[in-house]
Amino acid sequence: MATFGNNNLSAKLVLLGDMGAGKSSLVLRFVKGQFLEFQESTIGAAFFSQTLAVSDATVKFEIWDTAGQERYHSLAPMYYRGAAAAIIVYDITSTDSFERAKKWVQELQKQGNPNMVTALAGNKCDLEDKRKVTTEEARAYAEENGLFFMETSAKTAINVNDLFYEIARRLPRAQPAQQPAGMVLADRPVDRSRASACCS
Amino acid sequence: MDSDPGPLPPGDGPSNPNANPRPDPEPKPQEYTEEGRLSSLTLEDSGNAAGARAAASNGSLSADFYSGDEIEEEEPAAASDSVDEVQRAAGEARASSSHGGVAWRGNLEEDGDAPPSPSSSGYAGERGSSGESGIEEDDASVSWRKRKKHFFVLSHSGKPIYSRYGDEHKLAGFSATLQAIISFVENSGDRIKFVRAGNHQVAFLVKGPIYLVCISCTEEPYGALRGQLELIYGQMLLILTKSVNRCFEKNPKFDMTTLLGGTDAVFSSLIHSFGWNPATFLHAYTCLPLAYATRLAAAAILQDVADSGVLFAILMCKHKVVSLVGAQKASLHPDDMLLLANFILSSESFRTSESFSPICLPRYNAMAFLYAYVHFLDEDTYLILLTTSSDAFYHLKDCRIRIEAVLVKSNVLCEAQRSMVDGGLCVEDLPVDSSIRSGSLSPHLGLDKTAVGSLSSRLGTGGPAGLWHFIYKSVYLDQYVSSEFSAPINNSNQQKRLYRAYQKLYASMHDKGTGPNKTQFRRDENYVLLCWITQDFELYAAFDPLADKV
Repeated sequence: MATFGNNNLSAKLVLLGDMGAGKSSLVLRFVKGQFLEFQESTIGAAFFSQTLAVSDATVKFEIWDTAGQERYHSLAPMYYRGAAAAIIVYDITSTDSFERAKKWVQELQKQGNPNMVTALAGNKCDLEDKRKVTTEEARAYAEENGLFFMETSAKTAINVNDLFYEIARRLPRAQPAQQPAGMVLADRPVDRSRASACCS
Repeated sequence: MDSDPGPLPPGDGPSNPNANPRPDPEPKPQEYTEEGRLSSLTLEDSGNAAGARAAASNGSLSADFYSGDEIEEEEPAAASDSVDEVQRAAGEARASSSHGGVAWRGNLEEDGDAPPSPSSSGYAGERGSSGESGIEEDDASVSWRKRKKHFFVLSHSGKPIYSRYGDEHKLAGFSATLQAIISFVENSGDRIKFVRAGNHQVAFLVKGPIYLVCISCTEEPYGALRGQLELIYGQMLLILTKSVNRCFEKNPKFDMTTLLGGTDAVFSSLIHSFGWNPATFLHAYTCLPLAYATRLAAAAILQDVADSGVLFAILMCKHKVVSLVGAQKASLHPDDMLLLANFILSSESFRTSESFSPICLPRYNAMAFLYAYVHFLDEDTYLILLTTSSDAFYHLKDCRIRIEAVLVKSNVLCEAQRSMVDGGLCVEDLPVDSSIRSGSLSPHLGLDKTAVGSLSSRLGTGGPAGLWHFIYKSVYLDQYVSSEFSAPINNSNQQKRLYRAYQKLYASMHDKGTGPNKTQFRRDENYVLLCWITQDFELYAAFDPLADKV
């Protein structure tokens, strides 16, 4: 949960998405400025922290880089519970990973904090010639679901810092007046998934 | 668990064609021995260049097969065909089960009327399509069939789950064959444990809906292979817990490969450790040599943390334990430690950052996840804090910060690094009692002093009385110490060979059939091996092959 302290904000951020979409690569690019061509699979979840200065405040991100493997799926709530922000990552060269991302969006809409700042990141945008998911399709889906959308490349660093800065900028506005008591949005996500299935 | 391996066949068959044990009329676990001559096997795709080469080298197979240095990753000397052998084994199993133990034997070339095996039709047509290599290979590839030691995991419906070599999905037909063999024997109220087919041994382990199979031509005893299959199963439980069985209850055709995504490195590292880590057969762990005060300092801070609700706090340097503390009454099985260390060391992901992951300790509780906080304090040294609570991350992170501060302050990390560089015990450092040396070694060898001198200068090595290497295990502590390897056992193949010899000793000493043994003295062309087991300790030692019983 994001918490204020003077002009300092501490925010829990979780990355979700299919295995191989580039969650760890995005985080390593953001936190360490590194990129590995062959990033090994994450086990469970790795924890990072990074502080950003946004206009008049500093935001300390406590980042949970979760594993994309199916076996960790049922354990994901442990990591996104209480998160102030989430980045749902898919690989623009894989429609499967985009479908997986939609499932994560649904799950967060059902289970997550309704004030969570949620970003949809289409990673690997340097691989334009292998693209399978069009920018328009993803943008339409994001707008429909109230997500903030960006295409990124951890390899070339395009939009990576911008993504985290944008989340940091949006955080204070999303800050609730009080702790939300686990609101359940039961029906709407189902309608949305149907709607998105028609478009895709 | 079926722990009765039954009597093992006495060595290899060609000289002893009647060694086939008649299966007992009672349905009790038994093995099927196959006496077929490997030298008569030729590959059907001999038009393929590699296949022709393989077939051509068949003749010399039995002679120099096992004396050569073994490098499993390289092109091995064995040119035999495990697929054919399993098929033959299948026929064998069928023959001996249904006809009261009349084993089919003979060679494939002459025997055109080989009994039908469950898979032969599935493979005959595919053999020509080899030529792939590496992970692309499958059971049709010559390179795949020449691997010395295969491990397979499959589901009870025959779906592949894991294969050491090749892509699991391409091995669906092969998996189905293995499943057919297992269920064929099970259908007669029996259980298959072991098949010998020429130079190859096939060991089976059934764990509920999960079947594990090892096909090897490494001449390791069945007990050792079964122990390795148990560890592979344990590693799988560490990642998934035993509740994965429920997936099979809901859907017998459940595909488990997706659940194990990204863990190939974990299993290949474990399988590799069967060749170098004595913990894999001793069921004990080893400690990093440290000064008493240093270890005490580490233990004190870990104990402090364990009192604050941490189930286990473990400080390790690679595979060696620096210190280990458990909450009250909680005890950690050495096999769980082995599997946990292997899991962490083989997953690069733990090194990038601190991490918090669900893991299961199969010997502690196979049904439930624990949560592991893992952090590398330096290149080799890492801290594992295990808890039952899924939201303890921040607490464990605080614990780690406290522990790290104390370890740095009391110099434990530096000492641990130094110990890693210095290495462990050396046989050369053992005190030499000159009276014993001259009294025992030279008279028994029948050599005069100068001859002994020239012998040791030729070998240039070894401890007192020709000692080359030893392992000492304390039964009570679940710990072992092992001397460092030194010349003449100075490359990894020789080390692996010595470990395999120890494994054989271990298996024969712990064989329930022959009762608890106390000492064993064994000599072969490579060394003299001594094993001594009491209720307190087990000692394994390798000596110069010219050393004699003292």
